[in-house]
Amino acid sequence: MIRITPSKLLKIVFGVGLFVILCIGGFTYKHIQELSESTEEVNDTQTLRTELEHMVYNLKEAEVGHRGFLLTHDSLFLKPYHESRLKIDQNLKRLDTLIVKDKAQRENLNQLEQDIVKRFIIFNKSLNIATDDEILTKDILLLLHEGKIKMSRIRNDISVMLELENKLLHEQQKKNEEAIGITPLFLYSILILTLLLLLLAYAKINKDLMVLKKTNKDLKIFKTLTEQAEIVSKSGTWMWKIKDNTYHFSDNLYKLLGTEPQSFEPNLESIFKYVHEDDAEDLRQEISNMIKNEDLPFVTFRIVQPNGATKHLKAHAKLIDIGFEEKQLLGVAVDVTDEFDSFNLIQERNQELERNNKELSDFNYVASHDLQEPLRKIQTFISRLETNDGEQISEKGQFYISKIKSSSARMRMLIEDLLQYSRTNNADKDYVNTNINMLLEHAKHELSDSIESKGAIITNDNLPNLEVVAFQIQQLFINLISNSLKYSKEGIAPVINISHQEVRTNTVKDIEKSLFKYHHKISFKDNGIGFEQVYAKNIFELFNRLHGKTEYSGTGIGLAICKKIVENHNGVIVAEAEPNIGTTITIYLPFLK
Amino acid sequence: MKLFLKFDYTTVCNRVIEEQLKMFNFKYQQTAFGEIELLEKVTSKQLQEFNSSIENYGISLIEDSKKIMVQKIKDVIRDMVLNKENDVIVKTSVFLSEKLNHNYSYLSNLFSEVTYTSIENYVILQKIEYTKTLLVKQDLSLTEIAYKLNYSSVAHLSKQFKNTTGITPSAFQRIVAKRKESHLQ
Amino acid sequence: MKIALADDDEDDRFFFTEAFDELKVKSKVSTFKDGIELMHYLEQAENELPDLLFLDLNMPKKSGISCLQDIKANSRLKDLVIAIYSTSSSEEDVEHTFVLGANIYIKKPNDFEKLKKVLSEVVTTNWQYITSGLNKDNFLLRL
Repeated sequence: MIRITPSKLLKIVFGVGLFVILCIGGFTYKHIQELSESTEEVNDTQTLRTELEHMVYNLKEAEVGHRGFLLTHDSLFLKPYHESRLKIDQNLKRLDTLIVKDKAQRENLNQLEQDIVKRFIIFNKSLNIATDDEILTKDILLLLHEGKIKMSRIRNDISVMLELENKLLHEQQKKNEEAIGITPLFLYSILILTLLLLLLAYAKINKDLMVLKKTNKDLKIFKTLTEQAEIVSKSGTWMWKIKDNTYHFSDNLYKLLGTEPQSFEPNLESIFKYVHEDDAEDLRQEISNMIKNEDLPFVTFRIVQPNGATKHLKAHAKLIDIGFEEKQLLGVAVDVTDEFDSFNLIQERNQELERNNKELSDFNYVASHDLQEPLRKIQTFISRLETNDGEQISEKGQFYISKIKSSSARMRMLIEDLLQYSRTNNADKDYVNTNINMLLEHAKHELSDSIESKGAIITNDNLPNLEVVAFQIQQLFINLISNSLKYSKEGIAPVINISHQEVRTNTVKDIEKSLFKYHHKISFKDNGIGFEQVYAKNIFELFNRLHGKTEYSGTGIGLAICKKIVENHNGVIVAEAEPNIGTTITIYLPFLK
Repeated sequence: MKLFLKFDYTTVCNRVIEEQLKMFNFKYQQTAFGEIELLEKVTSKQLQEFNSSIENYGISLIEDSKKIMVQKIKDVIRDMVLNKENDVIVKTSVFLSEKLNHNYSYLSNLFSEVTYTSIENYVILQKIEYTKTLLVKQDLSLTEIAYKLNYSSVAHLSKQFKNTTGITPSAFQRIVAKRKESHLQ
Repeated sequence: MKIALADDDEDDRFFFTEAFDELKVKSKVSTFKDGIELMHYLEQAENELPDLLFLDLNMPKKSGISCLQDIKANSRLKDLVIAIYSTSSSEEDVEHTFVLGANIYIKKPNDFEKLKKVLSEVVTTNWQYITSGLNKDNFLLRL
């Protein structure tokens, strides 16, 4: 298919228009010529008619002269007769020039001429007789009579000629009319059509012009925008016309180099004046590749501005081949110094943080682990002392031993909990889709001894499957249930209800800051000793205890571990309690629907 | 390449004993697994030679009558667990005293004296061992195993497993699977 | 029953031998103060192999894990029953040593009576495995 572009269409429209106008000019010229020809013919006919009428008049003059002479014999009358005769000859001659074309008319003219000659012969005969005899003889009367007949024949001839001439004129006019008849309409309609075409073309041009104007305006805005964007984004653009190997640098590119816009000839060599010497060679390699491949992948290099400041630039270019006469490589260079610096800073901080974290967890682990050894020995030696020599030790001594035992047991508990707390720290755990019900069962198994001894009743809803670190969640359940068992009311069997429901994040105040849409809400509700609601936040803090050590054994780490585990799973843990009624610990774990 | 073998210890032992007895030209009758009645008199020297010969296979003669009785108790328990003879739900104690024609307290005391463990513990050990075998070899679920071994619930089996071995059945399965994986590599 | 222990801690070795002395089980306990010493002993073909080997995890020069790996890679030693005897009881350590081929994992108790109880349980269970023809591949015990 041949594509017709708007500009081609315009050319076609104008070509057709021009052609049509030329045609119309030609036609019109031809017609005017034809019209003037027919007018001439009418004129000729008119002259012919006048000539014929003159001739009749002259013949009459001749006859009047002739009659006068015959009556008077006065030669005075012969003068007009002769003059008429001459005039008729002239008339005939003129007629002869007028009638050239038509054959019938020429025959008529010849007939007329003969008739006129014959008439004059009769005139002459009668004149001769008249001059001989001065009276009107029978001959003359006869001749007069004959002359009258001849006269009427001439008249007849003329009327035939006139009629024919009229007829010819009429025919000619009719023919002309026929020829001209449809032409004006045809011309008119073609003219209208051409006008329409031209109008359309005009409208189109106008429209295109408007679009062009708008595009120009947009382009101007865009250019300003680009300049603005370049300044804001600290970037500059450049163009390389491959064919004539010329460059164009944007104003901001100069600014990136620390110079005034267009302050030097835009070419590669002038750029290299600013490139950091350590990066120059690599960049040259990249540029030579660019010239070879007509493409520039991302390249980063340093430049040194005239004021001595070093900046990091990142450049990239792409070959543009569409809509341009010649190939151009369009490039962008961005000042990435800030990114570079902040990236370095972040990396440094990260390393520092990692180091700190590792040190902390190493310290935690080693401390807890190594602390256990001497403690275990203290405990073991005490147990040896107690069993081997228990009876020989005084009552006071035995009391001290029991104190040492309970203190070291407490220290062991603290160390173990601390160890667990530091292990919960590790973030690089596997999150596996796990049946939470199973974890709850394991937790209950783990605690089965104290559950049985306290006669606790634990009920639970069916829990969902979740992406979790299984042993952490199990630990969470163990800690929560063992808390409920530990802080139960004396003499009353603990009742623990574990409920589950899915909640929309925006309906719960505690989790409104979460980015997840849905949460699993799992609540552990017990009938234990509870606590004042004002402490609800404190209980999750490390080493925070609400009760004396002697009342309830606890390290103040259990709930802190719970909080850490829940936070590891992007969740939230909250407590609600009432003294002597019970405690409800609720965990919210996010999930995707 | 690794091959995994499955042994039927009973068949292996019986085959070995059979071959050895034939080699020594003993006339015999097998009365139970691990119990042979010799139909002719043999000298103690011959017995000693026979003993040292079968020791190469990790089998030895039990001389002590107490040990023999303990071995009998063990065999009965083993059969009971493996062959589901406890389909007839009777107490282990009743079952044992019926099978061995001794009262249970005698058997129990004897067993503890020789093995330093109780019959009850031994039954549990055997059951848990069988559970392990089923978990590893037959790919049965714990629920199916609990049913097969007449446990009142999976939880009960799971708890007993944990109490006996110190680890949960799922941890056991995980460890065995990981071992196999590292072996194959 | 021949029993061996590799532990760098003198007190622990002392508790260990004392506990066995007080147990009813007839036993011969030999102790090694680190992994190198232990492996040196085990690798001598003329030396008697223990029925039960206890390994501490944290030892200088050569750790218990390293000993375990060496033993399992040695065709003469790979069938030894190995008990890990450690202060740590983290789930990762336990599972890791089991996967590497340990049969028993003992967290060192903090009470002498408990220690005796644990060791006696280990010995009797091990004895059951030896005398009752149980599949040693499935021998896993955590105390």
